[in-house]
Amino acid sequence: MSRSVVVTGMGAVAPGGGDVKRFWGSLTEAQCAIETRTYSPVEDLSLTLPVAPVNGFEERAKSLGGQLARADRFSQLAIGAADEAVADAGLEIDDALSPRAAAIIGTGIGGQATFDQSYIAMLRKGRRPHPLSILKIIPNAPASHMAIRYGLRGPAFAISSACASATHSIGVCADLIRSGAVDVGLAGASEAILTYGAMQAWSVMHILANETCRPFSKNRNGLIIGEGAGILVLEEESRARARGAEIYARVAGFGMNADGKDMINPAVEGATAAIKQALEGVTINNPGAVYINAHGTGTLMNDPTETKAIRAVFGADADRLIVSSTKSMHGHLLGAAGGIEAIAAIQALRNNLVPPTINYDEPDPECDLNYAPNETVERQLNVAVSNSFAFGGLNAVVAFERV
Amino acid sequence: MAEIETALLEIIKEHAVGLTEPPTRETEINDLGIDSFSIVEIIYEVEEKLGVEVPFNANENPFGDMKTVGDLIDALNNLINK
Repeated sequence: MSRSVVVTGMGAVAPGGGDVKRFWGSLTEAQCAIETRTYSPVEDLSLTLPVAPVNGFEERAKSLGGQLARADRFSQLAIGAADEAVADAGLEIDDALSPRAAAIIGTGIGGQATFDQSYIAMLRKGRRPHPLSILKIIPNAPASHMAIRYGLRGPAFAISSACASATHSIGVCADLIRSGAVDVGLAGASEAILTYGAMQAWSVMHILANETCRPFSKNRNGLIIGEGAGILVLEEESRARARGAEIYARVAGFGMNADGKDMINPAVEGATAAIKQALEGVTINNPGAVYINAHGTGTLMNDPTETKAIRAVFGADADRLIVSSTKSMHGHLLGAAGGIEAIAAIQALRNNLVPPTINYDEPDPECDLNYAPNETVERQLNVAVSNSFAFGGLNAVVAFERV
Repeated sequence: MAEIETALLEIIKEHAVGLTEPPTRETEINDLGIDSFSIVEIIYEVEEKLGVEVPFNANENPFGDMKTVGDLIDALNNLINK
């Protein structure tokens, strides 16, 4: 008998909201969490640009205590989200469950703030890096902190696939449960690279928007970097039912592949194949009840490529789908994007509400789907898909269905 | 010696989340509430504050079976004066 995987808990620390309720509220109210920030680590270095930060998390980070109070921000954000997800699921990890509980937590970069601080200390101040720098930087730090904090002794590791890290993590964790290797898992990702060094590195790529993020709109001019974490509790369905857990959605399918073509430019074929694979076992009676939370970065290249991929998968039915890019509101969380976007997709499914693509003001003939422009749309939904397409040509797509 | 002792007690105090009173030489290390991160942090801070080098190698178990803060101060003094 095949094992089914369901979502029983969610946690988010995101631009626009420090928990799922506030994050979802900000999306359905079409609030934009993008603001202008200046990063100036030393007097003579300064960079001002629009970003999507998590505000007001510092006190919460201190309250995490012990080794987490000294962890890098990306670990702290991850634990903030995971604490919420574990509590939300009512998950109790006892001795029997512990070896069958996983933590698959991705990140695109890892401890960027620690990197920045270390190099500034060494190269500008003639000091040595903090003695715990390695433990702060390593990409598996969030997974390890979760294993310690919640007593998980099953598989725990990080997946790093740039902007697809969270979606890969969710898909791989679901596969671990489906295969029988574990019964529950924390899955998602965290990213915190709003630092002078990282923002300079992004700036010189010349793909950042100069003001705000306008996915699928003809006047779009790039992405806005955000930070945060989104974590799901995934659970084998019969186990979740037996303990009376509230089931938010079923993980209906997962697709992943590599374009094998280019480090920067996305390929329609790879994205198409990944979406198809995610929907392989999903029965779609009514394409009008399908919501796609798009990768939708707002770059020149991504948005038409993604549009073509969706059209290639759905054919004539593509015009009946509803698609949106919530990155217009929370920015691009890079590795963590698929974490909070999976939550947006699941919340859409639960509430029959599609969060909009805001800042959409000029149709583009190359982007010709229904993108829920500027206002939340009420619609009966049965399936929600979350697309993540990463630099390096790595694609990951997860599909959720109503239970 | 006295300088190191004063500096070390001050540094340990910052890390000793388990204490309500300032630590003394007689304070038990187990009562400090410090974790596995703390020892490298304490040594780093000693080096930064006093401008000395502590030739500490965790693989050599240099602190043996220390029991009190006084044992830690003596061990650090020995390392610094090596």
